[in-house]
Amino acid sequence: MEGFLGGLAILVDPWVMFMVFLGTVLGIFVGALPGISGSTTIALMLPMTIAMGPIPAICFLGAIYCAANFGGSITAIMVNAPGDPSASATALEGYKMAEKGQAGLALGMSAVSSAIGGIFSIFVLIIAAPLLARAAYSFGPPEYFALAVFGLSMCAAIGGDSAVKNLIAAALGVLIATVGMDLTTGVERFAFGIDELADGIKFVPVLIGLFAVGEMLDQVVRRAEKAKIIAMDAARVPGMAEFRKCNRSIWIGSGIGTFIGALPALGATTAALIGYNETRRWSKHKEEFGKGSIEGVAGPEAANNAAVGGSMVPTLALGIPGSATTAIILAALIVQGVRPGPHLFTEQPTLLYAVFASMLAANLFYLALGLYMAKFFARISLVPPAILWPFVFVLSIIGAYGPDQSMGDVVIMLVAGVVGFLFRRTGFSPAPLIMGLVLGGKMEETLKQSLIIFGDDVSMFATRPIAMALLSITAIGLFWPLIARFWRMLGVQR
Amino acid sequence: MRPARNPNHAIAASIAAVAFAAIAATFTFEPVPPGLPGLGAVEFPRLVSAILFLLALILGLTAASPTSEDDAPRISSRAWLIFALCLGFLPVMEIVGMIPAIPLFLLVVGLLWGGTAWPTLALSALGMGIAIWIIFVKIFRLTLPKGWLVTLLGF
Repeated sequence: MEGFLGGLAILVDPWVMFMVFLGTVLGIFVGALPGISGSTTIALMLPMTIAMGPIPAICFLGAIYCAANFGGSITAIMVNAPGDPSASATALEGYKMAEKGQAGLALGMSAVSSAIGGIFSIFVLIIAAPLLARAAYSFGPPEYFALAVFGLSMCAAIGGDSAVKNLIAAALGVLIATVGMDLTTGVERFAFGIDELADGIKFVPVLIGLFAVGEMLDQVVRRAEKAKIIAMDAARVPGMAEFRKCNRSIWIGSGIGTFIGALPALGATTAALIGYNETRRWSKHKEEFGKGSIEGVAGPEAANNAAVGGSMVPTLALGIPGSATTAIILAALIVQGVRPGPHLFTEQPTLLYAVFASMLAANLFYLALGLYMAKFFARISLVPPAILWPFVFVLSIIGAYGPDQSMGDVVIMLVAGVVGFLFRRTGFSPAPLIMGLVLGGKMEETLKQSLIIFGDDVSMFATRPIAMALLSITAIGLFWPLIARFWRMLGVQR
Repeated sequence: MRPARNPNHAIAASIAAVAFAAIAATFTFEPVPPGLPGLGAVEFPRLVSAILFLLALILGLTAASPTSEDDAPRISSRAWLIFALCLGFLPVMEIVGMIPAIPLFLLVVGLLWGGTAWPTLALSALGMGIAIWIIFVKIFRLTLPKGWLVTLLGF
């Protein structure tokens, strides 16, 4: 509690508070822009935060993450075009409500349930992250290796066409992480005599390329029409009757969102979809779903915002990203010289609690902004793509060039952009590649350390119960389709 | 009737080729002094490449399901032109410098994109160019590439 109060005290700093506010406004803004997600924006903004120092930088990026999920719901309700993928479940009922002339109520419920979900998950984060970190103190290299393998195996479930494609992307990310000098032997790997590759591939240009340029190139091919906005009344705070109706949905969404978010790799989009399904399952008004149910807005909105706090739990406590966006935030922490993990709670508690406090503040900011300025933010979707996307490309160039003022980084960013574009066209998701890139180094390092501890005997992993449990869960998860098929075959034979 | 081509086979083959090339490249790494404990420099990349190869094989063998390639729109000639302009941004930047290249790029790509009147595009391109100059050059003190033409003219 003392640490958290210290974190709150940091928010008194006008500069930090301003960065949180700016991050919130930017988060809602980009969340409302169809095509530009929170992860794309955080990747684009990352280079600009390098000079800020760790606390304002992470508070700024954290605020964007919190607010972008909510921002996505504005256009999901008003235009039926989710600004952020996590708002896709909101569009199902929110747009139907808007068509019935209840856009203001849908936006109001979205803002309130998002804030409740977000604040709930931050309190879970405040309680659970230190406990998880304390448990992780007993972790050695074998446990961290098993955790990284488990985290990567969870990539099978995010985005993309198929689990195999997600695993391929994750493996490619790990392979890319091996580029550059091997720190234990000093051997240069996959550098091919190119100076820019000798120090390894930097996160920033790859992140910007995969997310921002890849998306921009995809938009060039699609060249979507300008959105048409629906007429609306002002967003309004839902009344007591509406709250009573949605009470259960909000708490179901908050619980599911926090839990899904805390699982490595699964983020807000999965949380929102499961939140929507569970809200419908437990609703007393199932007949309203599909026709504009306010519960169908409250449940997924609480879930996708609760996933934000949940996904920060493994990111900060273990250094294992809880989602694609937290993988980028993890990269931002590393760029700032902060290495997330259990020791962070003893070495830099102020930074941690400042992050928690800033996320709390961001939730309150977007609640106020969402209720009073939703109409304005909804108009953001009217920005012509012919203006928006070329600007994103220019910002990407500056973002890749800025940190080291190197044209080599711009070229790496463009190559990553082409990879991101090809990924999108062939049913791959860029998120597992980022997870692989972020976790790859840690995976190799901990495997090497484990083998030194075990005297090169791999079977010694069996003597470490936590590592074995994690590896077993990974194996069961990966081979589950085969196991299930085998059971079905046995059932047929009987 | 000829069956539709499954793009997953081509994807699997490309991934397998990448994995194979990565394994081959590990044989060009400098040798590690003998006697070092644990994994050397080549084992981990080889392990990951082998897993990648295996996954590509699985994708190739189980590639019956339709993929999003079926939904991916054709790349029009205009889109190719915008791609070329994106690539062309770098040499133009080398010549005239980044700040003058930005409004030029925004205007030309915006016109090619279509759907917005040119005065709006011109105005927004100019505004964004000025905004970028103020934020990155004046506030963040970033040294952006000047371009040899600008240097030659003595600006």
